[in-house]
Amino acid sequence: MALLPFLVGLTTLALIYGLLALGLNLQYGVTGLLNFGHVAFFAVGAFTSALLTLPPKGSAAYLQADAHYQIGLGWPVPVGFLLAGVAGGLVALLIGATSVRLSSHYLAVATFAMAEIVRSVLTNEDWLTRGEFGISNVPQPLKDTVIPAAVYPYAYLAGTVVIVAVLLALTVRLTESPYGRALRSVRDDELAARSLGKRTPALKLGAFAVGGALAGFAGSLWTHSLGVVHVGQFVPIVTFQVWLAVLMGGSGNAYGALLGSLVLMTITQSTRFLGNVPFLDGLTRRNPSFVPSLRFVLIGLLLIAVVRFFPRGILPERPRRPRRRAVSARRRAQTGASGGSGATDAADTPDTPDTVSREDEP
Amino acid sequence: MTALLQTLIFGLATGAVISLSAVGLSLSYGVTRFINFSYGEFLTLGAYLTVLGVAFGLSLPLAIVLGMLAVGVAGVVLARIFFDPLMDRGFLALLVTSVGLAFVLQNLVRMVAGSNPIRFPLPLMRPWHVGALFVPKVPVLEVAVALLAMIVVHLLLTFTRIGKMMRATSDNPALARASGISTARVLAATWFLSSAIGGLGGVLLAMTQIAVQPVMGWSFLLVVFAAVLLGGIGNPYGAMLGSLVVGLGIELGTTYISPDYGHAFAFVILVLVLLLRPRGILRGAF
Repeated sequence: MALLPFLVGLTTLALIYGLLALGLNLQYGVTGLLNFGHVAFFAVGAFTSALLTLPPKGSAAYLQADAHYQIGLGWPVPVGFLLAGVAGGLVALLIGATSVRLSSHYLAVATFAMAEIVRSVLTNEDWLTRGEFGISNVPQPLKDTVIPAAVYPYAYLAGTVVIVAVLLALTVRLTESPYGRALRSVRDDELAARSLGKRTPALKLGAFAVGGALAGFAGSLWTHSLGVVHVGQFVPIVTFQVWLAVLMGGSGNAYGALLGSLVLMTITQSTRFLGNVPFLDGLTRRNPSFVPSLRFVLIGLLLIAVVRFFPRGILPERPRRPRRRAVSARRRAQTGASGGSGATDAADTPDTPDTVSREDEP
Repeated sequence: MTALLQTLIFGLATGAVISLSAVGLSLSYGVTRFINFSYGEFLTLGAYLTVLGVAFGLSLPLAIVLGMLAVGVAGVVLARIFFDPLMDRGFLALLVTSVGLAFVLQNLVRMVAGSNPIRFPLPLMRPWHVGALFVPKVPVLEVAVALLAMIVVHLLLTFTRIGKMMRATSDNPALARASGISTARVLAATWFLSSAIGGLGGVLLAMTQIAVQPVMGWSFLLVVFAAVLLGGIGNPYGAMLGSLVVGLGIELGTTYISPDYGHAFAFVILVLVLLLRPRGILRGAF
């Protein structure tokens, strides 16, 4: 077994799932939204990017690949990538606009149902998606023209690293901004946030859309890395694998989401070799779905175990306190007239109201 | 006109199949207060255990009853292991655990029985012809079984001690505990009842599909959710009504809008209910 190609494939996959997990972390980890339909945005991103970049119907490449799809625009891959994010964000906006006002587990059921509706549409509108057959000649950027096929996986990994790093930096910047604090206030105490004048539905919708856009980008990276797109890839278990990554990594922490994906992918990809274990070997011959099922059993058990024994994850979100200097300065200004000891005051007051209200005015 | 009547008959039967699972899920929500994503697997288990029983030479009715009891016991045991320790940890932990449990159970079934559908051992029954109408016996049987089960559940909730305890706990857990009702006993009884009904629901689903397969319960789950939420979650009588509406909705949609979408009509009903009337037609509590 060639270890290096395996590791390269594993890392690429982990980064793509990491991007999905970043999106879900923004929605659930930061804002507290129970999104059980994340796979829908991933699917929409993948199909958008594929259909925009496929060689047009009837072109030489189309005929050469013996393809059967109806729509291919032949646009450059970067455009497909960007529009995949836009599409993921728009679908999230649409789904979110109808359901973010729902409370907690109703939202979970609603998003789960919406994702199944999206999957149902993608399966049945096969003039667009080729349904269960899928489309197998999705272009891989620069392959064979600039980068030889032999080193292509390495180049793709490098590109993925750059893209994910940029998106990670932007996401962290967003969640550390006043806007990010407002999102966290929705998660921690929605009523308090509302009574302080935050428009919580708009905040939730924003988090939902940005998370959806990140999943859309992930869909694009995924489809171009495989060169294939079909509906069977976008089943609900994808959503829950992303949940597992977020919870395992430490929800609320963007770096945790990435780390969680890496750990998850290491575990799930290593179980591919279960089929080579001598004892399992015989069982596999009798029931070909034995090993794949065993993998899902392990994922399920891992999900249960993480929630039960390890709820804060590997990299827990760091506890946040008001910045002492800024707050104490303001306190001193406020209480200055009475000549009180402002600094000790600020250090002793409970920090909850401050974390919600500081400096992020609408 | 005939087509419409025909569709209504099938809609009624689909509603009957949904109603059992919906009532079971609603009962368990009433006491545990979380939406159980592993509930579909109780359906799958019920259907597979029945097939197994028949393969061991039992008669079909006996296999169904034994299967139901086994699923009931499995429900109690699984809840004791996986859900009871999390009861005070908030519903996210319970929700995610139930998803994890669903994957575990579904894939254990697949590991043992394989992914391919297995024929459900139903004897061939000649359909009746009423005028121009074509009435197969299976749907009629399903409606009869579902009605019978509903009556039993109703009698259980209204007249037995444990049924009254369940309703009390669902209404107000703290007050129920204060008046000396053992929460643990009620919880176990509810899990048994709701899982066993789910097992029977799975058998009816297998009768409709003439086959069992590992994903049958999981892919039926949203249809059941739709019925439960439409009726007002936690309310078994609402769940019966919701099932009827969803069953008719699926069959009317399949006949008159597009045959490709089938269950997706139930998802649309589900989403509409959540948007327009999130507490259902008959509001909570029973």
